[in-house]
Amino acid sequence: MKVRVDQKLCVGHGRCYELAPEVYDEDERGHCRLVASSVAPELVASAQRGAVNCPEHAIRVEEEVDP
Amino acid sequence: MCSSRVVSKWEKALAKLEDQSEERTAEPVGTPDPVDAASVNIFSAEFAACPQPTYANLREKCPVSRSAIGGGPILAKHEDVVWALRQPEIFSSKMDMQLAMGTERPMIPQQIDPPEQTRYRRILDPRFSRKRMLEIEDDVRKSARDLMDQFASDGSCDFGEAFAIPLPCTAFLHLMGLPQEDLGLFLHLKDSIIRPQEQEQEGMAVQQIRADAGRGIYEYFERAIDARAGQSKDDMLGFLMTAEIEGERLTREEILDISFLLLLAGLDTVTATLGCNITYLAENPEARRRLVENEGLIPGAIEELLRWETPVMVVPRVLTQDVTVSGVDLREGELVSLLLGSSNIDPSAFDDPELVDFERDRNIHVAFGAGPHRCLGSHLARMELRVAMEEWHRRIPDYEIQPGETPRFSPGIREARYLPLVWSV
Ligand code: HEM
Ligand code: SF4
Repeated sequence: MKVRVDQKLCVGHGRCYELAPEVYDEDERGHCRLVASSVAPELVASAQRGAVNCPEHAIRVEEEVDP
Repeated sequence: MCSSRVVSKWEKALAKLEDQSEERTAEPVGTPDPVDAASVNIFSAEFAACPQPTYANLREKCPVSRSAIGGGPILAKHEDVVWALRQPEIFSSKMDMQLAMGTERPMIPQQIDPPEQTRYRRILDPRFSRKRMLEIEDDVRKSARDLMDQFASDGSCDFGEAFAIPLPCTAFLHLMGLPQEDLGLFLHLKDSIIRPQEQEQEGMAVQQIRADAGRGIYEYFERAIDARAGQSKDDMLGFLMTAEIEGERLTREEILDISFLLLLAGLDTVTATLGCNITYLAENPEARRRLVENEGLIPGAIEELLRWETPVMVVPRVLTQDVTVSGVDLREGELVSLLLGSSNIDPSAFDDPELVDFERDRNIHVAFGAGPHRCLGSHLARMELRVAMEEWHRRIPDYEIQPGETPRFSPGIREARYLPLVWSV
C-alpha cells in the first residue's frame, strides 16, 4: 500500500506519528514525514490508524498501482 | 453535579435535552431560533460546568445561533467549525484591539493571519516539537513530584491551588529560562489578565486591571531580556533573542508579543485540562481504576478527555467578508465564536460521541484547534498532562471530591476554580 501526506493540509497535530511511529515520523517542524512511502502488508493497519486519526484529513492510504 | 460526566448517566442529559427541545417542536430542525439563542450564554459559569447537553441542543436545533452576549454568530457543527478554522482569509484572527487582553499590540502568532503568521510558526514550531518537549519531560516530572511531596500525606487538597496551577507555571518558567522564584508574580499577572472580574471588588475597572497587568508583563520580560544582554542561553527566551526570520532578528516588540502570548496561552489551558480530567476521574472511579492498573491507557485517556471536556470551549474569529454557513447569512465584521466543544461531540465526526472511551479507535478532536493556528504548545501540553496524570495516580490512585462539595468552573476556559479532593492516607 502507498501512503501520501498532503503537506498543504498537515499542520503538525502529530497524531499520526504518536499513534503509528513505524509508519510516520516528524520533521523538524513537527509536521508529518513518512518513514517510507510504501508500506509492507503488516504495517497497513498502523498506516490506516494514523490516517483516520489525522484531524486535517491530510493522509491517504491507497492501493499501489503498477506503473 | 454534572450528570453528563458519568457515561452511564448520559440518559439523564439526553432526557434534559428532550425537555428543552419539546418547547420548540414547532420549529423545523436546523432553523435558527432567536429565542433559543438568547437563552444560551456560552460565556456563563453554568454553561462551563456542564456544556455537553447544550452543545447537542445547539448543533441539532440551531447550528448557527447568536450569542447572548454581543449577538455574534456561534458555529456549533464540526464540519462548519473545522471549515472556518481552515479559512483564515475569511475567518480572520485579527481581533479588534478593544477585545485585547491587556496587550498593546496583537499577540504573535495568535492574533495575526497567514502568510504573516506562517513566518513566525516556521521558526517557533521546531522549538515546540514533540521531540523537544520530551527533552524536558524529566524536569516536569521532578516538579510534579516536588509539588506532591507537599500535600500527598495530608489526605486532602484544593486540586488547583496545590497542583494544577503551579505545575504548568513551573514548566513555563523552566522552558523560558526564567527563575522559579517568579512563580507568584507570574500567577498574579496572568490572573489579572484572564480573570480581572475576580479583583473587581477592589473598585477597579476590568480594562484598567488588565492594562496594568499587561504593562507589568511587558516590563517583566523587558527586564529579563536586558538582564541577559550579551549572553546567549539555550532556552526559549535565549532562542527568541537570537532567532531570525529571513535573515533578520526579531525586534524587541516581536519578542515581547510572542512571550506575552506564551504566558497567556500556556498556563491556564493546562491547569483547566488537569482540573477537567481529575473531576471526571473522581466522578468515574471505574474509569480511574483502569488507568491506575494500566498506565499505557493514559495517552488515549488524555486525548479522549480533551475531546469530551474540551477545556478551551470556543475560539473567536472576525469575518472579513459576507459568508453563508449552514444556510445562515453572516456579515463582514461580525465576531464569530467557533464552538470547539460542540464539534468534539458531533456525531457526524465521532462514533458514539457521548461515550467516553479511552481506547477510541478514531479521535479527530479539535481541542487544540485546527488549521494554521493549531495550538503551538500542543506537544508541550500533552507531555505535561501525561506526566501529571502518571505522577498523580502513582501516588494518589484513589480519591474523590470532598462529599457535599461541588466543583466550580470558570467560563470561556473551563478551569475548576474550586476542586476540593480527599483521599485516605
Ligand atoms: C491542554 C492545554 C491546551 C489547550 C487545550 C490549548 C488550546 C489551544 C487552542 C484551541 C488554540 C487555537 C486558538 C485559535 O485557533 O484561535 C491554541 C493556540 C495556541 N496555543 Fe494552546 N492550548 C493548550 C496549551 C498550550 C501551551 C502549553 C502553550 C505554550 C506554551 C500553548 C500555546 C499556544 C499558542 C502560542 C497558540 C497560538 C497559535 C497560533 O495562533 O498560531 N498552548 N491553543
Ligand atoms: S496527524 Fe495529520 S496534521 Fe498531524 S502531523 Fe500527522 S499528517 Fe500532519
